[in-house]
Amino acid sequence: MKYTPRQPESNVNVTPTSHLREFFVLAGGLLGLIVAVYLMLGLAVDLMVPHISIDLENKIGVHFFQSVDGKDADPQREYYVQSLMDDLQERCAKLPYRFKIHVREASTVNAMALPGGHVIVFTGLLDKVSSENELAFVLAHEMGHYAHRDHLRAGGRAVVLMTFSALLFGADSSVSTVLGHTLNITELSFSRKQETQADEFALETINCAYGHVGGATDFFEKIPKEQDPGKFGHYFASHPENRRRISHLNNIIRSRGFNPAKRKPLPEAIWNSIP
Amino acid sequence: MYDLLIFLTLIAAGYSVGTLLEKRHYRSIHKREKAFLYLPAVTMKTVDYPEEKIRSAELVYGSVVISIDYFKKILAGLRNIFGGTVKSYESLVDRARREALLRMKEMAGDATVIVNVRIETSTISRKANQEGVGCLEAIAYGTALTLEK
Amino acid sequence: MIITNIETVPGKTIVEHFGLVSGSTIRAKHIGRDIMASLKNLVGGELKGYTQLLQESRNQAIDRMTEHARQMGANAIVNVRFSTSSIAQGAAELYAYGTAVRVR
Repeated sequence: MKYTPRQPESNVNVTPTSHLREFFVLAGGLLGLIVAVYLMLGLAVDLMVPHISIDLENKIGVHFFQSVDGKDADPQREYYVQSLMDDLQERCAKLPYRFKIHVREASTVNAMALPGGHVIVFTGLLDKVSSENELAFVLAHEMGHYAHRDHLRAGGRAVVLMTFSALLFGADSSVSTVLGHTLNITELSFSRKQETQADEFALETINCAYGHVGGATDFFEKIPKEQDPGKFGHYFASHPENRRRISHLNNIIRSRGFNPAKRKPLPEAIWNSIP
Repeated sequence: MYDLLIFLTLIAAGYSVGTLLEKRHYRSIHKREKAFLYLPAVTMKTVDYPEEKIRSAELVYGSVVISIDYFKKILAGLRNIFGGTVKSYESLVDRARREALLRMKEMAGDATVIVNVRIETSTISRKANQEGVGCLEAIAYGTALTLEK
Repeated sequence: MIITNIETVPGKTIVEHFGLVSGSTIRAKHIGRDIMASLKNLVGGELKGYTQLLQESRNQAIDRMTEHARQMGANAIVNVRFSTSSIAQGAAELYAYGTAVRVR
């Protein structure tokens, strides 16, 4: 038996292929899959949310609240905002929640509605508002989310999706981590329709509380001057663009014959004591 | 957003550097395979040489641990969802085996033939079977026979 | 192409050999099959989906090894061995290797 040294012309064990193309095809497929799952989950959550009792929500709310870290800052203003919220609830928006305001030290101009009636208000927002009516509108807006239970819809999807992705790829896989981050970004925000509905709820509420709607659009009118809405992060990214939002509010004010009148100033003693 | 940016950078770096390194490795493999073409490695236990002509028989082996790049790892992860041939890992195992064979031949030196060659691969990572470091070891071993001139 | 896993091809003589030839393939099963298999894992028994998948992959590995041998100018492969290993999570590698020879 003799040996004939020879080399094969081609490498049979490696498929000649473009990995880059495969990557884009598969990533596109995965994206399609996620969108499909997301839509399906949306339907499921919408069906489920009306059946979640307030009691159960309060229990879940504790976990959500604990996941937002930070200390309660500024007890004076917190007390004031809390009493404003309680007043609104008692007189005009009868919601089956016990709202608890948490003021958090952050420059973000933002407020968050968490399950269980925990409303987080950042000091950045408190520094921006200039009248009680304006602040009341923002609070009533958050109450609007509770009235329509948007916070559960948003949170519900996030929770179910994260569970799903962990199941699919394993909790610690790199794909899952990246997916988790991208999902978080989209999940923290409400849809435009939900925001518009909350705006309408807020308008009704402050009209009931003050007898007029003065100051309702003040907050949104400030925003474009301060900062580009795109840079604001999730709150304003999904809140309808301010121009559109203001004109929508003004339309309602006109058609319902609401009375835009003088604003009530914020309590000087509390607001001016801040360094 | 920040995390996504890091992820994309890692993928891009993995792709460009990984492709470059793989090309270089293949060039080196081709060169050395040509140089070692005179030394056959076979899986048979016996080759019909007269026994009195065999001067020495010696165990030879070569091994290598080789890692996948980040881009290909992600690609394999995607492929894992849809199923099918994991093409991105093919070149990894191919390179590992050929490198191990070459190192075995290097150890054999001026032998005439290497018989009863076996090749084994194993993954060595933190958790066996789980998403871990993403590397594998290939080992080739056999008996090198040296004939009298 | 004659493929055996013994030293010779019975009834024929090996006249020439070309060294090692090999074929490998790596396959992943899709997520649906994974989920079904994990359910089956509760009760045990044959995982038909996996058996079929591995069989297909092994056939492909043999095809690749045969192609390798053909390119060398061989007409038989002797002393073939198989090995299976899991390279990554959920992906299995099938490997076949042997010695390419010419028989008469």
